[in-house]
Amino acid sequence: MMLREIFRYELGLQARRVTPWLSFVLLLGFVYQVANEAQIEQARDGGYLFNSPFALGVVSVLGSLMGLLVPAPLAGDAAARDVQLRMHPLFYTTPVGRTAYLGGRFLAAFALTALVVLAVPLGLLLAAYAPGPEPELLGPLRPAAYASVYLCITLPNAFVACALMFSLAVLSRRAMTAYLGAVLLFATTLAGRIYVADKLKHWGAGKLVDPLGFTVLNELSKSWTPGEKNTQLLELAEALAANRLLWLALAAAALAFTHLRFRFAHPGVEAGRSRRATVVLSPPARIGPITVPPVRPAPGAVARTRQVRAVAAQSLRALIAGPGGVALVLMPLFLLLVAPEIMQHMGVPKAPSTRLLTGFISANGDLLGMVMPLLVIFCAGGLVWREREAGVSELADAAPTPDWVPFLGKLAGLALMVVLLQAALTATSLLIQVWLGHTAFEPRVYLSVLFGLKLADHLLFALLALGVHVLVDQKYAGHAVLLIVYGLRFFGPSLGLEDPLWVYGSDPGWEYNDLSGFGPHLTAWAWFKAYWAAWALLLAVAARLLWVRGRVSGPRERLLLARRRLTRPVALTGALAGAAVLGVGGFIAYNTHVLHPFRTRAQLEEARAEYERRYGQYARLPQPRLTSVRLHVELHPRHRRAELRGTYTLVNRGREAMATLHVGLAEGVETGPLRFDRTATPSHMDAELGHSVYTLQPPLQPGEALELGFEVRFAPRGFTHGWADASVVRNGTYVLPRRWLPAIGYQEGRELNEAGVRRAHGLAPRPPIPTLEDSEGLRELGAGRIAFDAVVGTDAGQVAVAPGALRREWTESGRRYFHYVTDVPISHDYALYSAAYAVREARWRDVALQVFHHPGHPGNVERILHGMQASLDFLTEQFGPYPHRQLRFVEHAGEGIGLHSAPVNVSYKEGFSQLQSEADPREVDFPFAVVAHEVAHKWWGNQLKPAPVVGAPLLNESLSWYSALGVVERTYGRAHLERLLAVMRLEYLTPRSRAGVPLLQAVEWFHAYRKGPFAMFALREYVGEARVNGALRTMMEKYGAGQPPLPTSLDLYRELQAVTPREQQGLLHDLFAANTYWELKTKRATVEPAEGGAWRVSLDVVARKVVVDEVGHLSEVPMDEPVELGVYAAAEGEGQGEPLHLGMTRVRSGEQRLTVTVPKRPARAGIDPRHLLIDVNPEDNTVDTKTEDAVLIGRH
Amino acid sequence: MDLQIRNLSKTYANGVHALKDVSLTIPAGMYGLLGPNGAGKSTLMRTLATLQEPDRGSVHLGDVDVLKDKERARESLGYLPQEFGVYPRESAERLLEHFAVLKGLTDRRVRRETVDALLHQVNLHDVRKQKLGGFSGGMRQRFGVAVALLGNPRLIIVDEPTAGLDPAERVRFLNLLSGLGERSVVLLSTHIVEDVAELCSRMAIIDRGTILLEGEPLRAVEALRGRIWRKVVPRGELEALERTHAVLSTRLLAGRTVVRVYAEALPDAGFELAEPGLEDVYFRVMGGHGVSRAVQPRREVAS
Repeated sequence: MMLREIFRYELGLQARRVTPWLSFVLLLGFVYQVANEAQIEQARDGGYLFNSPFALGVVSVLGSLMGLLVPAPLAGDAAARDVQLRMHPLFYTTPVGRTAYLGGRFLAAFALTALVVLAVPLGLLLAAYAPGPEPELLGPLRPAAYASVYLCITLPNAFVACALMFSLAVLSRRAMTAYLGAVLLFATTLAGRIYVADKLKHWGAGKLVDPLGFTVLNELSKSWTPGEKNTQLLELAEALAANRLLWLALAAAALAFTHLRFRFAHPGVEAGRSRRATVVLSPPARIGPITVPPVRPAPGAVARTRQVRAVAAQSLRALIAGPGGVALVLMPLFLLLVAPEIMQHMGVPKAPSTRLLTGFISANGDLLGMVMPLLVIFCAGGLVWREREAGVSELADAAPTPDWVPFLGKLAGLALMVVLLQAALTATSLLIQVWLGHTAFEPRVYLSVLFGLKLADHLLFALLALGVHVLVDQKYAGHAVLLIVYGLRFFGPSLGLEDPLWVYGSDPGWEYNDLSGFGPHLTAWAWFKAYWAAWALLLAVAARLLWVRGRVSGPRERLLLARRRLTRPVALTGALAGAAVLGVGGFIAYNTHVLHPFRTRAQLEEARAEYERRYGQYARLPQPRLTSVRLHVELHPRHRRAELRGTYTLVNRGREAMATLHVGLAEGVETGPLRFDRTATPSHMDAELGHSVYTLQPPLQPGEALELGFEVRFAPRGFTHGWADASVVRNGTYVLPRRWLPAIGYQEGRELNEAGVRRAHGLAPRPPIPTLEDSEGLRELGAGRIAFDAVVGTDAGQVAVAPGALRREWTESGRRYFHYVTDVPISHDYALYSAAYAVREARWRDVALQVFHHPGHPGNVERILHGMQASLDFLTEQFGPYPHRQLRFVEHAGEGIGLHSAPVNVSYKEGFSQLQSEADPREVDFPFAVVAHEVAHKWWGNQLKPAPVVGAPLLNESLSWYSALGVVERTYGRAHLERLLAVMRLEYLTPRSRAGVPLLQAVEWFHAYRKGPFAMFALREYVGEARVNGALRTMMEKYGAGQPPLPTSLDLYRELQAVTPREQQGLLHDLFAANTYWELKTKRATVEPAEGGAWRVSLDVVARKVVVDEVGHLSEVPMDEPVELGVYAAAEGEGQGEPLHLGMTRVRSGEQRLTVTVPKRPARAGIDPRHLLIDVNPEDNTVDTKTEDAVLIGRH
Repeated sequence: MDLQIRNLSKTYANGVHALKDVSLTIPAGMYGLLGPNGAGKSTLMRTLATLQEPDRGSVHLGDVDVLKDKERARESLGYLPQEFGVYPRESAERLLEHFAVLKGLTDRRVRRETVDALLHQVNLHDVRKQKLGGFSGGMRQRFGVAVALLGNPRLIIVDEPTAGLDPAERVRFLNLLSGLGERSVVLLSTHIVEDVAELCSRMAIIDRGTILLEGEPLRAVEALRGRIWRKVVPRGELEALERTHAVLSTRLLAGRTVVRVYAEALPDAGFELAEPGLEDVYFRVMGGHGVSRAVQPRREVAS
């Protein structure tokens, strides 16, 4: 009865407010927008239906994330209103029980929340049935789908959020704490999704940790087929049920705890808390006349400074006692926690370099970088409202301080807190480095990154936050405005705000690396920050004018006051700031709009579409082939300039004369007029799209050659609005000439690829990558080799590297020149480097081995040399000779680990030098395997070049990895290889759909780098290494020259078929020509002693083989084939024990019992113990053995 | 140095006319501003304390235009608002030091001395290190006085300081205030008549934004001598009495009602002449029997 009255009254009270209905409208709009943003593209690209149950689920989860803000004001107010309004004595003295009081309040808040979050399914309905999505994107309307997402996702999330927020607010007696609950849930969701699931690969734990079900949906998005996504309703099964149950239980526990702790007592004096709020007894009265020491206050600049300092100190103390202190503990703690995650790549430890740590701390998209602005917003609100919330404002406002003193003081306090946080993070980073024995401290990098660039960012944001809070003069509205402004940094571009001039605090981006420092990024950064500083100053002036002091009854009065405060110096400052905004902004606009054309994403897409529309007709036009490139390159690293002069030799390899030559010109460089050795009249010049057509007079006859001279300059003027081209830098220049030099013929690479985008631009539908059926016409594309000859000049003190043999090296007018010539033709895909390199040299037979590296990065240089030698040993023996007399690894600037194998030279990014496989507890030399993989590309990719159709990754990436496995086995032995394979199999833990194409049509990463090598390795184990490698050698002999027709995956399949015995042809087909999955499981392995000290092992196994097609239709295929059966002795230490038996056994579909006798007592047994067959659950292949007795005892 | 208030008017957005053309001249010394709740006292006080803008009118403290030159006015201002809070986790000394800096006492040594002396004066020195959150209402008020007194102000505005204090605290507090009115203008607003009677040499009565009476309390009381009559009546007769006489106040005494009426001469049998008090002045003015801002009882027209 009581509960009902409290519920009814509370519901009525809150429902009469604007907040819930406003949040209803906002949530509706948000869901509508997100549904369109997130789902329509994928539906158009041929994913799943726009209103499929799965799409509804995904949007609902995103809605829940935003919807965290719905219950915060409701639950917070219901929980803490009485205390905050000091009405609690009236309520606490009524004869209402705790249960009725808390229960009624909570239920009312939850009921209203449940009502408001109905906006999610309604927004989804609106998105689907409002004009917008094409009818073919929609499936039938299924009310059950909407009901199920509401009941399985939206409503439980709302309950969890509401319960947690209510509990926090009751226990802290502050409504604001409810928002802390929102932040906590948000952070936990992100942590579960990003760290636990994605980074740590603990998907199971991640699914539980994430309170909103984000991770569960994420897993489904990877593992469900489009068919399942379209039809399957989200229901409370398995992962989702476990997650929901856990969090509902936690929410209920929070409520129960709150009920237990809550007392109808005056806050601060109830038992148990008396220590914190000691009541002070009044001292005895002593009456006498008041004589205040006659002190004249000291106005003036000194006094003002001290006042600002006092306010700053007070603010800082308040922040540290509150959210700032929490952050000072939690942020470094978080850094410590995730440090092992940052400092590894695929489980290989990375050196704790300053660049790595500062990079993580300062990344905008990472958790620490995201938390800082949110913290600043929160703290700024607290500071601006501090006096008023504590009721001290009238005392403070009447003090004879100018209005700007508190503003400046609070700003300084907030700034100090940010500085302290940066210092704490720096100290933590140093601690990590010391802990791990890293001694190369780089205080300069810490200073410039954390106390330079990032601090500037944070301070600009702090000023914005304070200013907005002053101007808005409504705490929560201020928070909301600031969150939106902050969010624009991430969502601005998708909302059409692509010009960073409109997004507060933005800049074109920067990075720091060891080779090139900040590269060319700082100039633009400084201009942008100056621009935002001017805005911030303008905002500060506005805040100074509209600063609230005393009672102000409305905006009219505020403006009136502001006009009175507009004194000369204030006006002058404002005018100056305004002028700076215009001046600096104008200069930036001159750079980003005049010096460089500003093009939106839509315009760039349109340009690509237009290119295809205009010139797509020439895609199959026979064009002469490039046979020789002679270059003279002048690199000016210090001036960020480069000139490339050169000559192409083009030969008509066709059967008919060619009368026109199509030339594509690159963006970002100036290409001078082209020179021809015969009359070539430009019949079409399209500067906008970079395409020219020349009419050749006379036409180029078959077999005839044409010389084309060009001159390309890279000399960027000013800066652009986006990421600066960092190819030519002070140290660590890395130029891909192919990107800059004229290209012959129509450039397919410029076409738009995504199906939805193509349709939007009215382009003919086509698969993103040509199919095998289309391959005939493409087997010539990109074929052919060039003779390469280049003179590269660079600054004194640097070494320039290009493909080929270094013929000569000289110094001329203070510059160094290097002349490189290839001894064997190479493909037209290579890089030029220049840096102050250190070189480590060795030989392998007649091949010179070199590692060009940054002097400060000696890591892995020896390993690279070792890898090169071992790889050349194995690969030349297995697949044929290495064509060049040089093999180089060249380091270049850039974050990340990436390597790229071009002819002769292999590029590797700085991150690779930081890998420390000697510290890898798994005892796997992963970097060595990567080196072998890159060297193997000299065969698979550089010599044998696949046609650009589906299945090409099988020929270069899969075969390179397969070859690397051989190198590792040859060098380190079988056991090491098994460990490496185990590391590679970790990729199975990432959930993904089993739907897919057969390997012969491989395009995606998992197929190219994992499934492909696994399949090749399985075939090798079944058929024999000699046969498989023999087939590969045949491939190399046939196609290694790189001349058309280029090979496809079908050619490889044919060669493999030729060497595979009849009984394994089925396996070959299953591995490559079908998308096959084996589901092998050993349920039980029992052992009993047999005669002669031997042991008989009986295995109960289940086997099944399925083929999954592209859309996920699964069909079982009968299985009756040899599978390895393994029995192992107990392991000494960790890992697998000695094999007692390893041999093929026939295994059928279904359950069966297999027996084998082994000489020693076994400990573990199972089928396919080495995981040769593709099985997404490899860990259940083997089990620990049990003796027959134990099983018998177990049965009793 | 006087505080000159001229034609001050303020209307709130909700239509409440808080001040109607208020003019007052307030000399040095304690000045009482008496009025019921909602009379406009706090609006007037906040306006004088530079924290609120009037719609019209002017305020001068000596040669300082309080409304225009707020910063200079604040240099001479001590303000104790009707309601204020404290940072509960700060100590009295620390927060007082902070306010001292804000008031311009930026020299550390001088500030320390001043703060120390003030804490002694308001009798909080023994608890100066304690957290403000644990202070009683009276201690908190005294802390507020200490803040108001920082920087030796020439205008002290004290808004309803005794509301919510127990009798002992109230006495202590009034003693504290009485020590202030020597050199400065001390403006005390209250709805408790005794506060004014005990402390102030001058006073004004305000209701619904209008000053009803302005003068010296003693003289106002004196002017009523011989016109206040008292009678003890049973409860049932009260209504009839109110119809026929100008009843100023009624008070219960041991179950019977003591009635005080205003009359030029003995109004009725059973009445006896009573000693006038400031309360009689207040009720007479509030009851609409006063017609001007000065006490002019002789021109009174009997109702």
